[in-house]
Amino acid sequence: MPNQSSPTRYSAVAQGFHWIIAGLIVTQFTLAWMADDLPVGMHKLALLARHKSFGMTVLMLAVLRLLWRLFNRPPELPAGMSKTERLLAKGTHVLFYILLFAMPLTGWMMSSAKNYSVSWFGRFTWPNLIGQNEQTFELLRTTHRSLSWLLFGVAILHILAALKHHFWSKDDVLTRMLPFTKSEKRS
Amino acid sequence: MKRIIVAAATAILLSGVTGGKGAAVAADNVASYSTDVQQSRLEFTGVQAGAEFKGVFHKFTAAVEFAPDALTGSHIDVQIDMNSVDSTDKDRDTTIRGKDVFDVAHMPAAHYVTKTITKTAAGFSAVGSLTLHGVTKDVPIDFQFTSMAGGAKLAGSAKLNRLDFGVGQGDWKSTEWVGDAVKISFSLVLKPKS
Repeated sequence: MPNQSSPTRYSAVAQGFHWIIAGLIVTQFTLAWMADDLPVGMHKLALLARHKSFGMTVLMLAVLRLLWRLFNRPPELPAGMSKTERLLAKGTHVLFYILLFAMPLTGWMMSSAKNYSVSWFGRFTWPNLIGQNEQTFELLRTTHRSLSWLLFGVAILHILAALKHHFWSKDDVLTRMLPFTKSEKRS
Repeated sequence: MKRIIVAAATAILLSGVTGGKGAAVAADNVASYSTDVQQSRLEFTGVQAGAEFKGVFHKFTAAVEFAPDALTGSHIDVQIDMNSVDSTDKDRDTTIRGKDVFDVAHMPAAHYVTKTITKTAAGFSAVGSLTLHGVTKDVPIDFQFTSMAGGAKLAGSAKLNRLDFGVGQGDWKSTEWVGDAVKISFSLVLKPKS
């Protein structure tokens, strides 16, 4: 990793990755919950087709984001944070990165196990990752769902932490990830 | 995830109605075959949510009367058990067999019988009538005929639009998530009729 000095704000690229992926994740939860309530049929097919296309978009962005993150250092955490807080922040972010891959990959494998190949907005079709198997599909569906609840929980924690930093600690942890804002330079 | 769709069916055949003076000659030259279903395959490829999927029909029978040099007396006749459709997923198969797609409860069989067979650069082509989902329409096929030890192989393909046959009612009439075009491919292993 390059040994450059830490920036004080997240760059436009980092902010772009963060907010685009955040928006896609909200979309993914919405589509999945809507589809869950529907019986097998055209409407469910349509919702899940979009869910898969957006999911594969998240996977592609996750690859780019991870590569970009490996070569670009994020801003340092505020100096006043305790060891426990730092550990919690680090753990949350690592878990996010793992889930950014695990969610689409388990979804993709689910579709493969069902032999419903995944299209990307009708433009091209992704290859099946594994062979058709109903038991494997059920296991993957359970895994995909469980991970989605984990992601939901981590996202809530992440949002509460950002608000805590902004309103309680009054530092720039939230604003440095917001476009169109200026962070106070910390000494 | 469950949903799905599609499909179509097919087959082949020909009505060996030969005309006048050619008939006797044709009847002499044309060999009669039955199909070895275990080794034969009748497959369709549809498009669901932008991605192709394949299905097969496990049960069908084909009666073939064919000789490359006596095409007017040749014909291919295929009967398909629509209930034997298998797209490798039970949810999709249930939808396909259901009343809005194949409606196998009311239309359990499809039938293809060739009307004319002609020689082409690549092999042969035929026009036949396909009865699918209670609708009969002409469907052309292209195929190759290869003599083998103990019989012959007849392999080829066709294209059709499922909605021409009313395959897809209600929501499934839409082609936004389930394509209209369906590709058919077949490979028939033929044994001489004893």
